[in-house]
Amino acid sequence: MHTKTTYDRRLFLKGLLGGPAVLLLGTQAACKPADALAHITGSIVGANFKTGHLARNADALPKPSKTIATDVLIVGGGISGLSAKRWLEKEGHRNVLLLEMDDHVGGNSHYGKNEVSAYPWGAHYLPVPDVRNKELLDFLRQAGVITGYSETGLPVYNEYYLCHDPEERLFINGLWQEGIVPEAGVPEQEKEQFRRFSKVVNDYKAAIGTDGKDAFAIPVDHSSADAAYRELDKISFKDYLAREGYTSPYLLWYLEYGCKDDYGANLATTSAWAGLHYFAARKGTAANGNSSTVITWPNGNGFLMDHLKKQVEGSGMLTNQLVFKIAMAGNSTEVTVYDVPRKESYTVTAGKVIMCTPQFVNQHLLGSLAAPAALYKDFRYSPWVIANITINNLPQHRGLPLCWDNVIYGTKSVGYVDANHQDLKMDTRRVLTFYLPLAFDEPDMARKSARDKDHRYWLELIAAELEYAHPGITPFIEHADVWIWGHGMIAPGPGFIWGESRRKAGESIDNKIFFAHTDLSGISIFEEAFNQGIKAARQAMT
Amino acid sequence: MANVEQSQPESYKITGGKMSQFLLILSIFVIATCGLIYELIAGTLASYLLGDSITQFSTIIGIYLFAMGIGSWFSKYLDGNLLKWFIKIEILVGIVGGCSAPVLFAVFEQVASFRLILYAFVGLTGVLVGLEIPLLMRLLRNNYEFKDLVSNVFTFDYIGGLLASLIFPLLLVPYLGLIRTSLFFGLLNIAVALLLLYRFKEARSFRRSYTAIIVGTILVFIAGLIYAEKIMTYSEGATFQDKVIYSKSTTYQRIVITKNNRELRLFLNGNLQFSSADEYRYHEALIHPAMQNLPQARNVLVLGGGDGLAVRELLKYPQIQTIKLVDLDPGMTSLFQKNEMLAQLNNHSLQSPKVKVINTDAFSWIRNDTTKYQLVIIDFPDPANYSVGKLYSNAFYKEIYRILDENGIAVVQSTSPYIGRRSFWCIDHTLASVGFKTLPYHTYVPSFGEWGYVMVTKNFSWKNEGTLPAGLRYVTNATIKEMMFFPPDMAEEPTEINKLNNQVLVHYFESDWGPYAH
Repeated sequence: MHTKTTYDRRLFLKGLLGGPAVLLLGTQAACKPADALAHITGSIVGANFKTGHLARNADALPKPSKTIATDVLIVGGGISGLSAKRWLEKEGHRNVLLLEMDDHVGGNSHYGKNEVSAYPWGAHYLPVPDVRNKELLDFLRQAGVITGYSETGLPVYNEYYLCHDPEERLFINGLWQEGIVPEAGVPEQEKEQFRRFSKVVNDYKAAIGTDGKDAFAIPVDHSSADAAYRELDKISFKDYLAREGYTSPYLLWYLEYGCKDDYGANLATTSAWAGLHYFAARKGTAANGNSSTVITWPNGNGFLMDHLKKQVEGSGMLTNQLVFKIAMAGNSTEVTVYDVPRKESYTVTAGKVIMCTPQFVNQHLLGSLAAPAALYKDFRYSPWVIANITINNLPQHRGLPLCWDNVIYGTKSVGYVDANHQDLKMDTRRVLTFYLPLAFDEPDMARKSARDKDHRYWLELIAAELEYAHPGITPFIEHADVWIWGHGMIAPGPGFIWGESRRKAGESIDNKIFFAHTDLSGISIFEEAFNQGIKAARQAMT
Repeated sequence: MANVEQSQPESYKITGGKMSQFLLILSIFVIATCGLIYELIAGTLASYLLGDSITQFSTIIGIYLFAMGIGSWFSKYLDGNLLKWFIKIEILVGIVGGCSAPVLFAVFEQVASFRLILYAFVGLTGVLVGLEIPLLMRLLRNNYEFKDLVSNVFTFDYIGGLLASLIFPLLLVPYLGLIRTSLFFGLLNIAVALLLLYRFKEARSFRRSYTAIIVGTILVFIAGLIYAEKIMTYSEGATFQDKVIYSKSTTYQRIVITKNNRELRLFLNGNLQFSSADEYRYHEALIHPAMQNLPQARNVLVLGGGDGLAVRELLKYPQIQTIKLVDLDPGMTSLFQKNEMLAQLNNHSLQSPKVKVINTDAFSWIRNDTTKYQLVIIDFPDPANYSVGKLYSNAFYKEIYRILDENGIAVVQSTSPYIGRRSFWCIDHTLASVGFKTLPYHTYVPSFGEWGYVMVTKNFSWKNEGTLPAGLRYVTNATIKEMMFFPPDMAEEPTEINKLNNQVLVHYFESDWGPYAH
């Protein structure tokens, strides 16, 4: 791809004929050091801290003025909430109410749109799933993602949605190389370690535990209980790698990139089991794809979310509804809700409640019903910053042209995704979705300090990273919106996935209150959320 | 105008002695030189951009001389402060002449009536120059004997003419280029005006206001000199064999047109798209083998082909009622619609009432199109990058299959089966993979080399029979028969299917053409 700086001749002539005043102004401007970012518009968007924090001071909210009843109440409209509602309605349960605190449902699959493209504000792809995941395959068939099945029974994926080529590139040692595994300029001894690691991972991928289950599976809870594998959860990925003799800086960078990308964490704060799961659990097959094939859309997983939403939004779904108290009342559960736009409260009496909210929220909502505080301490969440950047040109170093996923070696971010990649238009204006996990501090500190930063702060950080891989890009940035996810996703630290806290937090209360959220899987991916919703809905109905 | 100021008395004499008189005579020399230079610039530009240099030069000389006559005639209506008029006109000559080349280059692609603007510039310059000589003679009428005056003025006028006609081809065009020459002589005119302004005390009353205009113009022209590269990228002259007569970067591509005595060539991003000398071979081979089997063709879709040359061939069939041309780049289609020289090449095909030009991305457009076509012509650039590679994918061809009539035909330009052998067969196999029957063929286009096409049908059996329109220069039934034969060095070889998520064609194309890349 040739990205040349071009000069508009007509524009210039306008200046030429426009008289000397233009020229004088021009020289004056040139004498002043200009603010290179001044032309970039945008703001910090989303991140509804305020509504969320209202719940912490529940006494200040108005007393409920009415009561409504429902068979099932779903609290939280992320993927697990939508999935629970979908399953319930599919099974014929009509009296289901879903309440979402934000002004939109979708959780981490939320997306935005401008005149250039739709773009994700969070999760942005789905690997081709394991064919054993029937429920997910059915949903993908309904959404038109799977168009049919081949003669051998394998799903055929819609080719418009399979990630188009070229898929991934890495900027390393002055070159954009194909693929994210570092190769350009990597010494032979280090490549040997890559090969060794890759063999280990492939063995784990095929490994079956003594109980006959896969060593690593998606959903996580389908994985084997075999201690040989679960042991790996007790140490950090960093210690595991040191123990196994991996010393290559390139390999360690690559594995840490994986931890950042999937968990917003680093090698020390990720368990070895989770670190390996990233590589060993994807076992998808397809007539026109394999386990490394991914499905994606300009609006990321917003596409899947929209389809889920479409299936369930007919009735019983409200946004801007802040649940702030949950209490048992005889045979049912009483849930108190604050209607944010109406500024009034009401009570919902529900036969069953499915909490599709993260545990740091449940801890507050459940009050006396909550588990001991120590349990919640084990749930650690990574803060994320996501920026959607509209550009009108992309100068770049030599190597592969713009891909779907573009990673820059040695930087803080996990790179950017070209939101326009899957649309078939040719346009130099594009939206890049830039992902920055705040993986380097204690999550709480990172969260608090992220909240204090202004738009300019993030813009400078992002522009500096982009300039490194794309010298001269700053003038071509038109707009940059920034979203700060204080609790972006669960971070599976050592001991978390196979520890007691995760299991206990997921246990239903009194067969009335059930739980579904990716933090109960320990891994924040669409497949887990989808499964969490179904699992909790099933429990609630039996 | 003239009554505002007091008329100068009959006995008015220019002040400042011999030196001042000489300066005025010298200014005639400069005006004569500059005037002729502007005329030569206009003539050269017109023959670059419009072709046919004999017509261009003679019409421009004619208009210029005629306009000078009008100026001379009009000079008798100018009264009052003659020196002020003289300087005023001098400044105007500088401004009009100086910006003539930049403006003409800039409007070339946009204005249908480019000729009109060209002649307006030539005429205006002529009128202004024509005014100057009578004015000057009147200014100096009491300083010289009449016979000396006439002799001096005309001597310098004609010497200036000689100088201009010598330095223009020998020095100015090769070293400065047209835009810089134009600006440079504009500056010269204005410098003379400035000199006169400060030399004569009669000019004191309007000195300040004129100085402001002069300084402003000088600054703008100097900026123009510095940025002339940007107005017309002469550096491109080094990349291309022939004279670059047009270049423009649109949102999507860089369009360059070059010209020599024999032919005109169009380049997109440095890749040759056609040469006017042999494009008929390419376009006849693209259209007529399919069309000879389609007496029922009513709706035709052309994807790519913004030069209108394929449409020109299609318009030879009266049965065709509508032709939709989908080309991404409005810069291309409007150039080939509005520019006379280029519109002549495509026989004004893009202005035909049967033709509807749609400037949008073909892939997104076709996914939403539900019309049925009897013929689809796919004339995209070669699959040299991932953006274009998508337009050769099985997903795209499925859409073509959907919009093609049961008895329709589609033809795909498919790069060179000789140089890009794997690329060519990959296109053929990809088309076959979505259910088409394919009929690959190829032909020789001297400026391209061996070139390939794939014709596809659904249920219909194509036959090399049917009537061809009269007046074709290349395609006959015998030519078509020959096109279908593939000698061993271009014979079919196995390839993968080009898909959105593998883009194998781009990889094939890179390795096929890699050894030929310069």
